Amino acid sequence: MPSFDANKVAQIHQHLHSHLPSDSALRVKALETVLVQKGLANSENIDRWVEAYANDVGPMRGAQMVARSWLDADFRHRLLDDAAKAADEMGFSGPASGHLKAVENTDVQHNVVVCTLCSCYPFSILGMAPNWYKTAAYRSRVVREPRAVLDEFGVQISTDVAVHVWDSTAELRYLVIPQRPKGTDGMSVDALVKLVTRNSMIGTQRELSVGA
Amino acid sequence: MDGIHDLGGKLGYGPVDVDEPEEPFHADYEGRMWAISRRARVEGINIDWWRHTRENIPADDYLDRSYFDSWAQTEMATLIDAGVCTLDEFVAMRADVLSDVKLAALTKEQFLHEHARKNTRFDRVVSKAPKYAIGDRVVTIETPSIGHTRLPAYARDKFGKVTAHHGAHLLPDAGAAGREEAQHMYTVVFTAQALWGPQAAKNDTVSLELWEDYFV
Repeated sequence: MPSFDANKVAQIHQHLHSHLPSDSALRVKALETVLVQKGLANSENIDRWVEAYANDVGPMRGAQMVARSWLDADFRHRLLDDAAKAADEMGFSGPASGHLKAVENTDVQHNVVVCTLCSCYPFSILGMAPNWYKTAAYRSRVVREPRAVLDEFGVQISTDVAVHVWDSTAELRYLVIPQRPKGTDGMSVDALVKLVTRNSMIGTQRELSVGA
Repeated sequence: MDGIHDLGGKLGYGPVDVDEPEEPFHADYEGRMWAISRRARVEGINIDWWRHTRENIPADDYLDRSYFDSWAQTEMATLIDAGVCTLDEFVAMRADVLSDVKLAALTKEQFLHEHARKNTRFDRVVSKAPKYAIGDRVVTIETPSIGHTRLPAYARDKFGKVTAHHGAHLLPDAGAAGREEAQHMYTVVFTAQALWGPQAAKNDTVSLELWEDYFV
């Protein structure tokens, strides 16, 4: 059982820092090796996770939810009402989808998501979080100067559009529904899915581009 | 905990690297660490204690270490603390006693089935009625516990408005101390100007999920 003693773990951190090699890959290797030898992990299953997040679980899932919400008003209603259920309906449940909230961009509101305290992210809907999402630069600044941070992403928000920052520090995770781009009438759901980017579902992109 | 991890609103961390390549992992060890962290947790090591352990990485180390390396450090620290592994085992890269247990390897289909069931829920049924309703004005406390908390420094002693009630959720402050306690949790919206002063855009807002203990 854990000690739940912060001073004790702080001391353990110092020991780990002093005694383990500095190379990140070696440190993770040490952890994996010891866990496998103790029967607490299985390297083949670790391979499964890596493969899944490289191929099967990623932003394409969120993109499918978004594109469907553009075409299917009933689904959009269900998505906005209870995104966890809507994700389950699409077969996208998994880590961090137990409590999910979809928030829609409109002509007068732009949404952007962060976790200032760690890096909470809807993994089974959007896959691995980009590195920038986990950096001190993004976490510190986007709650305070969201427009300046968005500008670095090439996104200019006019003053008549409100920016809402969702600091997702609890177990509720967020999916931004970007606006459907103009000039996409009659496009198939599969074609629409391809327009939806990862950043647009985090909120660091606002306008989706139609012609690739 | 008023630690280095509580970054919201701090200045001096520079511009965001927006040109990062899109692939999910930028090194093999990142994917392996992600996977290791998803295995069944050792009894008692809940998500709140895990996060608190990560927060307790010394500040210079917290900022310097790559993201998944800091997860490795956190994982090792929680395992050493719980008596499951020793520092010497990690240094030697060898368990003192080799186990006969070999976990079953899953096929891809079995794996994806298991993966879909990892949508853990943190809401609980409580008999207590919620104290607040949508539309209520609330004031956050100035000084949370010195242990783990999910009330960031920038949102303390501030006026906000309740915009959603999510039922009762496990309170992270209690979880990180080894207690299971659920409290009503709300989405609270703060105006950017209430948080950052008149230089913030007038129509911008920030929201957080907050528990009843976080209100005055």
